[in-house]
Amino acid sequence: MEKTSFFKRPAVQTLLASILCAVLGIIIGYIILLFMNAEHAGEGMAAILTNFFKYRIASQTTLMKYMGSFLVKSVPVILCAEAILFAYKAGLFNIGVAGQYTVGIIASLYTSLALGWNWFLCLIAAIVAGAVWGLIAGFFKAYCNVNEVIAGIMLNWIGLYICNIILGLPSCMNQSKSETYDIKDVNPAGLLPAFMREFFGKNEYMTIAIPITVIVAIVILVVLNKTTFGYELKATGHNKEAAKYSGMNAKRNIILTLVISGAIAGMAAGLYYLTGIEHFKIASSVPGMGFNGIAVAFLGGLHPIGAIIAGLFVEYITLGGQYLNTNYYNPQVADLMISIIIYLCGFVLFFRTILNRPGKVTVNANAEPATNTTDNKDKEKEV
Amino acid sequence: MLLLIQYTLIFSAVLILVALGGMFSERSGIINLGLEGIMVFGAMAGAMVMVLLPADASRPTIIILTLLAAAAAGMLSSLLIAVACINFKADQTLIGTALNMLATASATVIVKGFNTARSGGTDFSAKLDYVRGHNAFMFTIGKLQLSWFIVVAAILLVCAIIFFYKTKLALRIRACGEHPQAADSVGINVYAMRYIGVLMSGFLGGLGGIIYICAANSTWHFDYGVAGAGFLALAVMIFGQWKPERIAWSAVLFALFRSLSNVYMGIGFLHALPISGTVYNMFPYIVSLIVLAFTSQNSRAPKAEGIPYDKGAR
Amino acid sequence: MEDYVIEMLHITKEFPGIIANDDITLQLKRGEIHALLGENGAGKSTLMSVLFGLYTPEKGVIKKDGKEVKINNPNDATDLGIGMVHQHFMLVDIFTVLDNIILGSEPSKFGFLTKADARKKVLDLSNKYNLKVDPDALIEDITVGMQQRVEILKMLYRDNDILIFDEPTAVLTPQEIDELMKIMKDLAAEGKSILFITHKLNEIMEVADRCSILRKGKYIGTVDVKNTTKEELSSMMVGRNVKFAVDKVEAKPTDEVLKVENVCVKSKLHSNDSVHNVSFNVRAGEIVCIAGIDGNGQTEFVGALTGLDDISSGKITLCGEDITKKSIRYKNTHGMSHIPEDRHKHGLVLDYSLEENMILQRYFEPAFNNKGIIKKAEMRKYSDRLTKAFDVRSGQGPRTIVRSMSGGNQQKAIVAREMDRQHELLVAVQPTRGLDVGAIEYIHKEIVKERDAGKAILLVSLELDEVMNLSDRILVMYEGEIVGEVDPKTTTLQELGLYMSGAKRDNRKEAK
Repeated sequence: MEKTSFFKRPAVQTLLASILCAVLGIIIGYIILLFMNAEHAGEGMAAILTNFFKYRIASQTTLMKYMGSFLVKSVPVILCAEAILFAYKAGLFNIGVAGQYTVGIIASLYTSLALGWNWFLCLIAAIVAGAVWGLIAGFFKAYCNVNEVIAGIMLNWIGLYICNIILGLPSCMNQSKSETYDIKDVNPAGLLPAFMREFFGKNEYMTIAIPITVIVAIVILVVLNKTTFGYELKATGHNKEAAKYSGMNAKRNIILTLVISGAIAGMAAGLYYLTGIEHFKIASSVPGMGFNGIAVAFLGGLHPIGAIIAGLFVEYITLGGQYLNTNYYNPQVADLMISIIIYLCGFVLFFRTILNRPGKVTVNANAEPATNTTDNKDKEKEV
Repeated sequence: MLLLIQYTLIFSAVLILVALGGMFSERSGIINLGLEGIMVFGAMAGAMVMVLLPADASRPTIIILTLLAAAAAGMLSSLLIAVACINFKADQTLIGTALNMLATASATVIVKGFNTARSGGTDFSAKLDYVRGHNAFMFTIGKLQLSWFIVVAAILLVCAIIFFYKTKLALRIRACGEHPQAADSVGINVYAMRYIGVLMSGFLGGLGGIIYICAANSTWHFDYGVAGAGFLALAVMIFGQWKPERIAWSAVLFALFRSLSNVYMGIGFLHALPISGTVYNMFPYIVSLIVLAFTSQNSRAPKAEGIPYDKGAR
Repeated sequence: MEDYVIEMLHITKEFPGIIANDDITLQLKRGEIHALLGENGAGKSTLMSVLFGLYTPEKGVIKKDGKEVKINNPNDATDLGIGMVHQHFMLVDIFTVLDNIILGSEPSKFGFLTKADARKKVLDLSNKYNLKVDPDALIEDITVGMQQRVEILKMLYRDNDILIFDEPTAVLTPQEIDELMKIMKDLAAEGKSILFITHKLNEIMEVADRCSILRKGKYIGTVDVKNTTKEELSSMMVGRNVKFAVDKVEAKPTDEVLKVENVCVKSKLHSNDSVHNVSFNVRAGEIVCIAGIDGNGQTEFVGALTGLDDISSGKITLCGEDITKKSIRYKNTHGMSHIPEDRHKHGLVLDYSLEENMILQRYFEPAFNNKGIIKKAEMRKYSDRLTKAFDVRSGQGPRTIVRSMSGGNQQKAIVAREMDRQHELLVAVQPTRGLDVGAIEYIHKEIVKERDAGKAILLVSLELDEVMNLSDRILVMYEGEIVGEVDPKTTTLQELGLYMSGAKRDNRKEAK
């Protein structure tokens, strides 16, 4: 067995490709800033990149407090990415994560605000809601052959409208502010337990959501790589027909995958909204969290731990948008940068072939002339 | 009732054009999930033209320039798909999704920047107001208020049907979506055909975008995107079995359900039902999900769609 | 000076890591039928792809009528009058015959198709060369033989005078092959020059004027067919003497292992059954072969037998147990092994490593699974044992990604896996497809060994040589029905051909 050189290792290549995407995205973002207002572009980019670290001058505590909020806000996008990459490994593009996240919001907020449940039950409700939404998509895919992307999109919108109806009820929505009530005021037991609040400058939103996110990522990593279930899922993702041939239950796996993926997405919503950091407002478009999750999943090289790093990066850029001087720019520039980064993620394959140039492994199913001749060389020794 | 017909017609126009766009792209072998984004770009360009044209511009000028701008913007944005998916063999689902996000984000940024500049720093919204342009498209037959958009869509539909079945180019495009190796072996440039397919979807999607935002409104908030209309069109396309005449019929059906959410208040018995208006908003999505459940089992998508073509590998 | 219409001089074509064509020279005379002989992987297809403009060679020149030409794409080839019938037909399933013929050279006015002239030309050609086709039929509805005629018409429609046939007989019945041979002779008599790629010696002896031989990417030589023998050709092709027959003793069948009764499978494409009332049995210690032309229901039958497809009626019994409605997993674990027809589609997860593929049907067994966690060390040990026993070669041992392995070694890996699993019945579908002689011999030997070890073997094959050499009983399938049963020791290729084309059938209704 040869030792593969450092730059030929798939993990290193994925990392390099992702960094390349991120850097290119930032450069293009800078060019956009230049177009919008050339004079202040440098300043604007600096604001995005410095971000909340500008508070380091004010005080350590303030900085840590902002750091805490940054971590809390990264939780849902990381978990959505985990949900997407989990399904993707099984060959399913779960664009319905956005909708599963939305019904997760419904379940967590309704149970905590209207029903006054304890945080644990609220979180379970969110997970179940997401799982049910995933189940519907899975059912349509497995039994009716409906493309999961289209079904997912339809369910996203249905989820959004249901969300508007339920969370618009007087028991959840503060009609005067047209946003949901504070869980803190209505049902303090509905809030997630604290986690390292002192360390993060007494940030009241620091909860167990953060360690749970890390644990989920590790569990996914283990499930995918060490278990028979992960073996089945990846086999199905790589080659559905071979999975069927080997006796795996494709329908069951499709449904199970989407249920788990949905459950993670629902959990993402629960772990975010049950910190109390965010209120739900009546929306006319599906929350972008699920779509940002796609960006994060691909930027993280479809690796559960990579998704954590990519999630922090994407959230950092999004937050950075808010530090832009609104006299010259609007904060959506950050969204634009993120969408450019996802677009660039499509070129990862190409970036990797560039890295692979000398002495490549052919990734080509039809390379018969090549492979057969190697076979003959083997024969030669044999004869 | 009149209102229902009116809305059904205009939404049909949108869905027909966009679904035909999706069809040409998929027939050439590229799954176009970015239709939604293409629509946003088309809508933005069209709306900008309507806003910017001088007050004394004649009706034909407004109509022609608006449509041209929308189509051109749609085609430009579809190039993003073409380059990534045809030349760089990118994942078509990912690129489509990226384009959708890119479209909404950049439309928001651009329109906000545009408004800020025009208002001298008082208007930061992502909203465009194009009443005048919108009215230029309207005409009435009897009591029915119609839009030139419907006429345009009808003409394009007829052209698309003739093109699809009768021309050399369409035969070649279809071959590329079914069996690109076969097309290549008789000297057809598969990449070029796929570019044409994607660009056609850009053209039609861009037009669909401007019609969509003009359908019921004369202002539009660009941070909303086009609310899943592009995906409804994809459902229409699947329901229409990738054939133009069937797409037309299924578009009308979907449009009918879509219109209900706009006009249910005007229809006595629907309004009397004890359900919230939001439920009607859900209607087209629920219907398309159910319809897809019954039609996807035997649907025959172009065989080579979604698979990047590699000239080296035969 | 000979009158060469095409000369390929000193062609070298490299792929990453290997040289597919190494300094090959091929000269085609006007009006001759020139065979190009070589094993799978000898470089024939690469050479033809170079001639047809699909690949650009690193070294060498191509001359047409003595003048050097550059062929960069199929269009250049077409302009030079070169046409090719590809091994895998280049036809669009949902198009009509006529559309397929004109595709790429469509007659048109202002971009609109004008099919009337094209139709006339196609019908004229089809009459002239006796190539019967229905111009308005869809490709997916017509037989393979007719599809091939469409491919030939495609070349004639373009007025090609240099015709390349890439393994044209692989999918035809003996009768259809005779017909094709006659067509090729007619074409040559009309002044067309023909390159005929094959690895079947009988056909070369019958139809070719000269024959060039390639082996492992190298040019071995060109001989006049009149002055040579099959034996000489075959030793030039393989580099050693090959035994044509498989060594095996008389079968000693014992108990019935598989019993199939009145099995029907509904077609996915049309309203008829694709498998109709199929009944037979296979006993331990014998090789029963289902022969037939591709597309006569063999794939569907195997699908129903193994569980990949739904069965609509009938009964399947394995070792006395009714398994008709059992899952694939149940069949896998209760005595059935299956070497699938398409190793890339079904047999392997190409992006998994070799060791992961080795446990594809067994990963859940206690040997490899401890409370849901895969025992990687056990998997490695098992894979090492199998690859050693069956001589599977790979670049990086058990961790090699299967996609990067050669076709022969991929197939050996499947054979190893299926033979090692606990089983009473082995279903082997085209087990040697696309392999070279060495690998074919090896797999044949293993199958015979299995039989002698008392396993029941159901072989499905399209290769008549394989059918005749390997099996103890032959069942012929035609249009979804078993139309005859013959004994390989007493039957002839001609008789088999009559069954395969539906011209002859036994009345074996409830014979047993």
